[in-house]
Amino acid sequence: MSNVELKSAPGAGGLYLKAAIGMTPLAGTRKKELPDTVVSLEAQPVDLDRLAAFGRVTEHTLTGSLPPIFFNVLSMPLQLKLMTGDGFPFPVIGLVHVNNKIEQTRKVDAAEPLGLSVRVQDLRPHPKGRQFDVISEARVGDELVSKATSTYLRIGKPSEEAAAEKTEEIDFSALPQIATWSLPGDLGRRYASVSGDRNPIHMHDLTAKAFGFPKAIAHGMWTKARALAAIDNKLPDAFTVDVAFKRPILLPSKVGFHVAEVDDGLNFSVRNAKKGTPHVDGTTRAA
Amino acid sequence: MAASKAPRPVWVIGGNRIPFVRSNAQYAHASNQDMFTAAVDGLADRYGLAGERIGDFAGGAVLKFARELNLSREVVLGSKLAPETPAFDVGQACGTGLEAAILIANKIALGQIDSGIAGGTDTTSDAPIELNEDLRQILMDVNRIKDPKKQALTLLTKFRPGMIKPEIPVNREARTGLSMGEHTAITAKEWNITREAQDELTYNSHQNLAKAWDEGWQDDMVTPYLGVEIDGNLRADTSLEKLAKLKPVFGGKDGTMTAANSTPLSDGASAVLLGTEEWAKERGLPLRARFVDAETSAVDYIVKQEGLLLAPVYAVPRLLERNKLTLQDFDFYEIHEAFAAQTLATLKAWEDPAFCKNRLGLDEPLGSIDRAKLNVKGGSLAAAHPFAATGGRIVANLAKLLEEKGSGRGLISICAAGGQGIVAILER
Repeated sequence: MSNVELKSAPGAGGLYLKAAIGMTPLAGTRKKELPDTVVSLEAQPVDLDRLAAFGRVTEHTLTGSLPPIFFNVLSMPLQLKLMTGDGFPFPVIGLVHVNNKIEQTRKVDAAEPLGLSVRVQDLRPHPKGRQFDVISEARVGDELVSKATSTYLRIGKPSEEAAAEKTEEIDFSALPQIATWSLPGDLGRRYASVSGDRNPIHMHDLTAKAFGFPKAIAHGMWTKARALAAIDNKLPDAFTVDVAFKRPILLPSKVGFHVAEVDDGLNFSVRNAKKGTPHVDGTTRAA
Repeated sequence: MAASKAPRPVWVIGGNRIPFVRSNAQYAHASNQDMFTAAVDGLADRYGLAGERIGDFAGGAVLKFARELNLSREVVLGSKLAPETPAFDVGQACGTGLEAAILIANKIALGQIDSGIAGGTDTTSDAPIELNEDLRQILMDVNRIKDPKKQALTLLTKFRPGMIKPEIPVNREARTGLSMGEHTAITAKEWNITREAQDELTYNSHQNLAKAWDEGWQDDMVTPYLGVEIDGNLRADTSLEKLAKLKPVFGGKDGTMTAANSTPLSDGASAVLLGTEEWAKERGLPLRARFVDAETSAVDYIVKQEGLLLAPVYAVPRLLERNKLTLQDFDFYEIHEAFAAQTLATLKAWEDPAFCKNRLGLDEPLGSIDRAKLNVKGGSLAAAHPFAATGGRIVANLAKLLEEKGSGRGLISICAAGGQGIVAILER
C-alpha cells in the first residue's frame, strides 16, 4: 500500500487542470485496478471564514458545529489528488457521482482540528458500466467522526451481474413538498468558490456543454447540503445520511423540497418543481 | 382577562450565552441569527429543552436587517426547541434583553404560559448597511412607475454618483445629533466623574470577570462558539497604570472617557430560561432566583437636558417604593456599565440630596451602595456589550449569584438609547 501524507491541503484548481489533461491518457498507460493509495492530511484547524461562507451558500445557520457536507469540502482536494494520480484507472472528468452516504458519529465543533484521509475501493459492476467508492474519513485525534462513501459510475459496457443495491423500498415521489427553492444561474460558481470544486460542468453553460450538459448543473453536494440545512434541527448528533443522485439540476432552476418524518429519521427528495422528476432522493437515520 | 388571580412566582432557571467578542473579530462572519441560535441551542443542551415546546420566546437585536423582521421566530425554527414554540421580537435599544425577560416573566406571572425564553443578540460586524436615502427614495419612485421606459428615464435623470455612498448605522441620538459617548461626556462633566474613578471601576470590572473565568464560575453559562471560549474583550492583565495612559476618546482633549472605560462595539448573544416552580420541578430543573418586579423609565434628555443614560436613576426609586425597599436592601447590584462615567454618575445621583429632592421628589437621598456588592463577577466594561445580549448575561449572572448565596436580593439596572432605563429585582 502506498500512502501520501500531506501537511497542507493541495489546491484543487491545479488538480482540475491535471484532470482535464488526464482525459486523454496515452493508450495503455492506465491501470486496470483501483490503487490502494491512502491520501491523508494531518490534523488542521478549520478555516472559520470558509465555514461561514459555506453556510451562506448552503443556508446553514453558523451554530459552531460543522455541517455534514463540510467534511466533503475539506477532503475534496484529497479526493482529487488521489483520482488524478498516476495509478488511477479512470479519467476523473466524466465520472458520474451516483450516491453519497455520510456516517457522522457525533457533532463536531468548529474549533476541533481535523485529520483527513481518502481512499478508493470496491470496483464493481453497475448496470451502466462499473462503479467504485471513494471513502473520505475525518478524525479528531484518533476518533473517527465522519465517514463519507461517494459512489462513482464509470459509464461503459452494461453489466448484468450488477446486484440490486437498494434494500429499502421508499416511494420518494409520494413525499409531500414542503418548500420551493429558486436556484440562481450562478449557483455553481457560488458553491465552487466555497467548496473548491471547480469542475467545469458546474461553472458555466459553455464549459458544461463541452461535457455534454445543455447548461451548467448544480453540484450534487450543494443539493445535499441545502437539503440537510433545511432539516438540520431535526438531525440527532449521530446519524447516517444517504442520498442517490438521480438527475442533474440544470441552472437556473426551481426545485421542490419534499420531506416526511419516519420512525428513526427522515426521507427527503429534491425534485423539479414543474415536472416532479427527481434530482436527489435521500434518507437520514439515527445512528 | 379571565378571572383575576394572584400573580404566580416566576423563577429564573438558568441562562446561556456565547462568549462576547469585539467587533470585526472572531464572529465577523456570524449573523445575529447564527449567534442567537448558538446561544439558544446551548441553553437547550444545558436544560434538556431539545424538542420541548416552550410557552413563548422573546428576543431581539438592536441592529438588525429588514429581512430579520421575525428574527426570534427564525431562531426558534433553526434551534433544537420544538418548532411549535411561538416567538416575538422585542426592541428597546440596550434594554432589549432585560425587557424581553420582563415580558416573559409577566406572562408567566399571569398564568398565560408556564415557561419562556428571553434573550437578545447583536453584531456590529455584520451590521445592516442601507442604501443612500436619496437613492432609496428614487428607487421607490421608479418602482411605482409602470412604464419601463419612463422607469429608466426617471432613474437616469434623478441619479447622482454621490448616491452610491451607503448609509452605515451610527451610534447617534436622532434628536440631538450626539453620540452616546458624547452625551455621556456631558454627564461625566456635570457630575464631576474623575478619570481616576472611571479607570478604577474599569479595572475592577476586568478583575472581577477574570476571576470569575479563572474559577470556572462562567462555565455553566457560556457555550464556546467558533473556537472562542472566553470573552474576547477581557483584559485580565490590565492595570490602573496602563488604563491611565490611554488618550480620551470623548469630551475633547481634556475628556475623561477612554476606549477602556467605555464599552467597545461587540458581538454576542444570550438567552435566559424562565418558568414556574412546577414546570421546572417536573423537568428536574433548578430554581435559581425569582424574577420579582421591574420598572422602566425615560427622561427628557432633549429640552430638559437630563443625562441620556441616567433614566435608571428615576426607575429605581419607583421600583423600591413599590416593593417597600431601600437602595441598601440588596446583596448584589448589577448595574450595566455602558460607560464607567454613566455607572458612577448613576450612583452619585442617588447619593445627591439636591438631585433626589428636586428631580426624584424624595425627602432623603437614596444613599450609597456598598461597592463591594457591585458587579461582583464583572460588568459590561470587561465582558463587552453586544447591545441586546447584555440583559440575558446580567439576569443569568444575578440568578446564579443569588442561588449560591442561598437567599438574598439583587438589583439590575440597565440604561438604553433614547434616554430610557430598565430595572428589575431578583430574589431568592
